[in-house]
This record gives sequence, C-alpha cells and structure tokens, in this order.
Amino acid sequence: MDALNNLFVNIAAAIRGLFADSHSFSADLTINIIAFIILFLIMVVAALFLSLVERKFAHWVSQRSGPNRLGPHGWFQFIADAVKMLGKEDITPANVDKFFFKMAPMMLVGVTLMVFGVIPFGKGMVAIDLDLGIFYFFAISSLSTLAMLMAGWASNNKYSLLGGLRAVAQMISYEIPLLFSLLGVIMITQTFNLSAIIEAQETIPFVFLQPLAFIIYLIAGIAETNRAPFDQIQGEQEIVAGPFTEYSGLRWGLFMLAEYGNVVATSAIAVTMFLGGWYGPGFLPGWLWFILKIWLVIFLMMWIRWTFVRMRIDHLMHFAWKILLPLALVNIFLTGIGIYVYELLIARIGG
Amino acid sequence: MVSDSLRARVGELAVRVNGEVEESLGELELTVNDRYAVEALTSAKNFADVPCDFLHDLCGMDLEDHLEVVYQLSSLRGPQRLRIIARVERDNPVIDSATPLWKGADFLEREAFDMFGIQFRGHPNLKRIYMWDDFEGHPMRKDYVVESHEQRAVMRVRKEGE
Amino acid sequence: MTIEGTQEYSINMGPQHPSTHGVFRMVVHLDGEVVTKVEPKIGYLHRGLEKMAESRTYTQFIPYTDRLDYLAGPHNSLGYVQAVEKLMEIEVPERAEYLRVIFAELGRIASHLVMIASGSLDISGWTPWSYCFRDRERILDFFEMTAGNRMTPNFVRIGGVSHDVPDEFMPALKSFLEDMPEMMEEYYGIFFGNEIAQSRMKSVGILPKELAENLLITGANLRASGVQYDVRKAEPYSIYDRFDFKIPVLYGCDTYDRHFIRLLEIQESKKIIEQAFRDIPAGPVMAKVPKVIKPPVSKVYHRVENPKGEMGWYIVSNGTTKPARVRIRTGAFVNVQMLDAIVKGWKIQDLVTIFASMDLVLGEVDK
Repeated sequence: MDALNNLFVNIAAAIRGLFADSHSFSADLTINIIAFIILFLIMVVAALFLSLVERKFAHWVSQRSGPNRLGPHGWFQFIADAVKMLGKEDITPANVDKFFFKMAPMMLVGVTLMVFGVIPFGKGMVAIDLDLGIFYFFAISSLSTLAMLMAGWASNNKYSLLGGLRAVAQMISYEIPLLFSLLGVIMITQTFNLSAIIEAQETIPFVFLQPLAFIIYLIAGIAETNRAPFDQIQGEQEIVAGPFTEYSGLRWGLFMLAEYGNVVATSAIAVTMFLGGWYGPGFLPGWLWFILKIWLVIFLMMWIRWTFVRMRIDHLMHFAWKILLPLALVNIFLTGIGIYVYELLIARIGG
Repeated sequence: MVSDSLRARVGELAVRVNGEVEESLGELELTVNDRYAVEALTSAKNFADVPCDFLHDLCGMDLEDHLEVVYQLSSLRGPQRLRIIARVERDNPVIDSATPLWKGADFLEREAFDMFGIQFRGHPNLKRIYMWDDFEGHPMRKDYVVESHEQRAVMRVRKEGE
Repeated sequence: MTIEGTQEYSINMGPQHPSTHGVFRMVVHLDGEVVTKVEPKIGYLHRGLEKMAESRTYTQFIPYTDRLDYLAGPHNSLGYVQAVEKLMEIEVPERAEYLRVIFAELGRIASHLVMIASGSLDISGWTPWSYCFRDRERILDFFEMTAGNRMTPNFVRIGGVSHDVPDEFMPALKSFLEDMPEMMEEYYGIFFGNEIAQSRMKSVGILPKELAENLLITGANLRASGVQYDVRKAEPYSIYDRFDFKIPVLYGCDTYDRHFIRLLEIQESKKIIEQAFRDIPAGPVMAKVPKVIKPPVSKVYHRVENPKGEMGWYIVSNGTTKPARVRIRTGAFVNVQMLDAIVKGWKIQDLVTIFASMDLVLGEVDK
C-alpha cells in the first residue's frame, strides 16, 4: 500500500535519478515539463469526461435516456464530441476585435491550468508547493473575469457584451464571500500552504469545524464557475450564450474546457480546505481518495445544477452582498472566538 | 337564445344609427354604415343590463362591391352576444378606430388593414402586421391575384436598414 | 466623442432565439438590463390559412386547423367543425361527442404541460421540462394510436370523428389518469414549490384585471388576472354542460399565477376526462352527413375555449362547396398585446419569464 501511495512521488524521484545531479536546473525543468503535461492531460480528460458525466447525471435526474449509442451505455460519447468539436469550422466574424477575440479563450484555459499547479493531489504530489498556495489560487482565478469580459467585448455583439458585463458584476461579487469563507480555515492553520492545510486535517476535516464556511464556499464556488443556478453569464434563454455567442469550433471548446476545468479546480480546493484532502481509510491510496472526494463535490454541484432554476441577476447580487458576505464575516468572528477559547483551554490544561 | 332585453336595446340602437337588424342561428346582427360604427359600438358597450362590453373579434370581409368590418361583441358577465357589421366603401375604405374603446383592438385592426387595406382613423400604429412592410396589395381581397408558384419563387432583396 | 450618462440600446430578440418559442421576434429597448419598451414583430410563420380556406372545400380545410395551435390539435378542429355543423344543422352521435371531449381535453393537458415545461426551461429548469415532456409523450401516444399522427391528429370530422378508438386506448387512458395525481405532485415539488422559481415569478409582470379586459385578453391569462370566465361554462358547446368541473381563478395577476393556473386547469381537465371515460356510451361515431358539404347561405360565429385563449370561428357561406370567408380569431394573437403593456421596468431576464407566461404558440399567432 505504501508503494501505491507514493507511486507518483517515486516515479518523480526515479526520473530525477536519471540526472547526474538530481537537483540541477535541467532535472527541475524536466520534472516541471512532465508535471505540466500531466496536469494539462488531467484537465482535458477530466473536462471531456465531465461533460459526459454531466449529461449522464442530468438524464438520470430528469428521467431521460441520455447519450446511449456509442460504446457501452454511451460511455464513449465524449470522444465523439471531442472529435466533432475539432472538426468544426472556426469562424471569426467580421468586425470583431481579432486579437482579443482570439486571446480570450486561450487566456481562460491558461488561467485554469495555472490553478492546477498548486493543487496537492497527494502527499508530496504537487507541481509547485507554494507557501502562498491559496493566495495564488485567488489571484489567478480572478483573471478569468478578465477573459470573460474580453470575450464579451471583442465579439462586437450585444448579447455578448451583456454577458461580459454580467460576468464582471457576478464574479467580482462572489469572489469576496469565497475568499472570506476560507479565512476561517487559514486562521486555524496559520498557513497559506495547501499541503500544510491538508496535513492539519489529519484528525478531523475542517468541514466539521467550519460547516458554515463550507456551505458559503460551495455556493460562491458554483457562482464563480458560472453554473446553474448562477449561470447568468451564459443564460442561454435570455442572452443566447453570453460571451461565447460568437465562438465556434475549437475556440468554443476551449471555453467549455475552461468551465469544466474550473469546476474540477474549485472542487479540488474545497477538498483541500474542508474535506481533508488525501486523508481517508487506508484501503485506498491517498491520491485516489483525493480524486474520489473531488467527484463527490462535483456530484453535489451537479445535483444543485439540475434541481434549481436560474436566479435573477439582482437577486444574485443581493444574495452575495447581503447574505453570503455577512455570514462569512460572522463565521470569521466565531472562528476567532473559537480559537481564543481553545488557546485559553490549552493554556489552562498545560499550566 | 337571444334575450328580449338585448333585442329591445339593439332595436332602439338600430333606429338611432340607421341600421338593420337580422337574426340567424341564434345570433343578433346589426348592420350599419361606416360612420355610425363607433357610435354603435359605444352604445353597445354601455347597454343597460346587457352590456356587450368585450370585443371578441374584429375582422374584415370582402363582398366584391363593398368591404365590411365585422365586430363580434360579447361580455364577460353575461351570455349576450351581438354582431355589428359596418359597411365600408371599397375604393376608399376608411373607418374610425375602435382602439379608444378597447386597447386590444390594436392588433385586430392592424390585421384588417394588412389583409383588406381598411384604414382605421385614429389608430396609434397602423402598420402591416403579417406581411412585410413593402408588400404590395391586400391578400384577402377577392381581386388579389395569387401568383403562380414560379412567379413567387423570386428572391426578395433586403433593403438597407431593415 | 464623449457619451454622458447612460445610453438606451435596442436588442433584436428572435426570430431565431432560444426562448421565443418559435419564430416570434421582438425588438427590445434596454436601459442597462432594464426593459423600457418591447415591439413585437410577428408574421414569420404566416401561412395565410384564412386565404387558403377560401379555395378549399369545407372538409379539405379540417387538416389545416390542426396546424393552428399545433400543441393542442383536436380543439382547433373541434371549433371549426362545430361551426360548420351549426351551419348545416347536423346532429352528432353521442359516442363521437364524448370522444371529441376526451381528445380536446387531452390536447389541453398536453398544451398546458408544454407551457409549464417551457416556462421552467426559460428560467433554466431543465428537469421540470423533462418531466412535463415525459408525460406529454403519453398523450401524444394516445393520438398516435388512434389517428396515426402525434401532434396534429386530424381526428374530428364534420358529423363525428374519423373512426372509433382502438381497443388498447381505454385501458391506457385509465392508467394515465391514475398516474396523474403523482405527476402533479412532481411538477409542484420541482417547479412551483421551488424557492428560486417562486422568487423569479411572484409579483413579476402584473396584468391587472381592468387592463386585461381592455386588452381583450382571453383564456387562462385572463383567469389568472381574477376574471372567472370560461366559454365551456359561459356558453357550453359540445357536451361540456354535462360535466362537473370548476373554473380555476387566481387573483395574483403575476407570472407565477399565469403558470400555476395551468396546473389547476390540468386537474379540471382530468376531472372532465374521468367523467367522460365513465359515461361514454357505445354506438356509431359518425352521423349521416351528405357526401358534399354544401351549407345554405348563412353565417355563424362559434367560440371555443382553446388552451391558449378563446378561439372564434366566423364562417360565411355563399351556398357553394367552398366558404366565402373563414375568419379565425385566435387567442394567442390577441394575447401578444399584453407583452408590451406589462414588461416595462422589468429586467431582460424577466422579459423571458413574462413571455413564457403568456403561453404563445406561433402557429396560432401567425395563422
């Protein structure tokens, strides 16, 4: 079990062993390039697979048949979808701002991929073990707002512009409760490092200490990833597809890739911060536990998506500023009191 | 089916607006000239005890020698029904609009204008509703020539600013 | 160039837009996200049915009537056929009348289910949409097993119905009726009882009673504005006077009530079908009708309560085999006018909900 647990860590060590000096620049570079490729593949495969799982889940919830032609029970459908998307004509409409129009999807995917760099998939299994991991996550994921606005503005389409502006309003608003909900955890662990935060949860996952923060994080996270009931940005029933209206083929595919990548990243952060990361009963390796927990959160998000209807944009803002933000502040306050009382008790017992 | 009280009211009204009353298949029908149409409608809307205050339908009708505007009145508060027919000249079909009485007559009058070319005086927005704006002729008139399939298959070019 | 303050801008919605339920087009004037004015532009599905009727015999026109409100085919043909029967003074056999009522009410349920489904889909409720379509499918199966067509059964004929129902129809109908209460609970649970859905629809797009009457709104939209009026009760046609059912009425005048009243009407339709199912006699389904339908010179105006609003058939006969004029007053066409009257000041998201609550079907709007 130990070998299985450290499978990837050992592989990395073996690769390093191929170099004369295992900590030389070329060794680091090789490892990083391999990590990058693996992370990219994880994201692409996860996104493609997730698109199929999402449809399967939707059909299960709403009692339809769903994709059932390709492979056993339609489980190869995502390959056909990917091939179809690659084969589609790439249309750049006249009168768009060509540079930003082409930049936006790439930027969104790039941003999402960068987030994956700090996620610890297992003990020691992190591409870059940043001390400011969670801080980096927020800094980078805020950039996706910019990509949305770029897409909306550059498309030269009124629906896209409306979608882009909605994206700015919604994502900036929900970033604040998202950030505040995690502050409680950081106050307890006294660190920004994601691996350290997971290690602090060895005895008890923080979801039991911070239940309110977990709920706030989940809601705000769904809003950040633009999924129902907070999918105003696409809102296909009123603004067609928001910023993505004018995109086709692979560029549109990149947006979808980024969306599902974001879902995985948000779930991964939730697992890291609240669900105890790679810790779990010993019969499965740690990284598998991590992936299973990610799926659990994703299923929760899907369940919400297919049950609720879309909120109105003003209710949405109301919800962020007047309900989630005060609740997050209350949570921080309660956490502060809790830490104070805990330290007092420790001092008593210790003394 | 037609109540006596309604019959009496329509009789009084017919004398005032110089119209003819007919009854067939249990429906009462009042035929007037175009200039009395709105007066007849207003009185019918305000009939004591049997007000016909709901304009159920308004449509045009082509009778080769003249046009007609047919108003079907009913009420949400009783079984009374009345049909008022206003005769309109064929060459210069102009009649007062019923939109001051019922806002909802708007679309119905636009349709009658579109299909029969009847001009409604005082209508807020008398434009074609089904056919496109530069369509020529009024398709429901009896003298409208329906083109053959070959003639119709000519592509229409979009104009600037459409 | 400097722009001071805010600038109003207009968006063209439709005719190819996901939530205009067909080829409806509206020019929406916006101030930010707030709607200031809506101009409905219709006619993209105009087929000239009234003109077509003048060059076809009375019987030949029946299939076209199904295409008016294509979500509830039988009721359209019922209105037309009854108008012709009034002209010809034809008595219809009992069994045919019951079958007509059963089909008309099944069509009403199907239509209302589509309305609830698309109403929920317009606020992104995919699951309720799916539930409603799942159950509507069973109704379409009834149409298919009887008449061969799913949406436009073309079942009603002058003097009766085209043929009797097959043997498996009645047991299937029975099991459908038994399943209905459960379905109602499901719709309520997932859509009407949903907190977010209620916040999206309650007190949005108020259509006051006076305005509704002035705009000549009919059908369920009028009943959701507090007017208890239904042609089936006020002026019973066919055999509707034999059944015991209520006219649901709601006083909220808002989008939620316009959706909810459809659910109540489905329940009333269910009652009617149950009674018809219980009382239906055996016998012929077609009266003795002359081979050539040639009504005397006369005119008739016949009203029926269509799912989308009241439908009026004004038929003028000139004594030949073809009508001189067939005028179709459709509920949805007149109901379009309420859109601009109630949408001002609401957001573009509400515009979609309000539009859905009007329950338009473009086949009926454009004729």
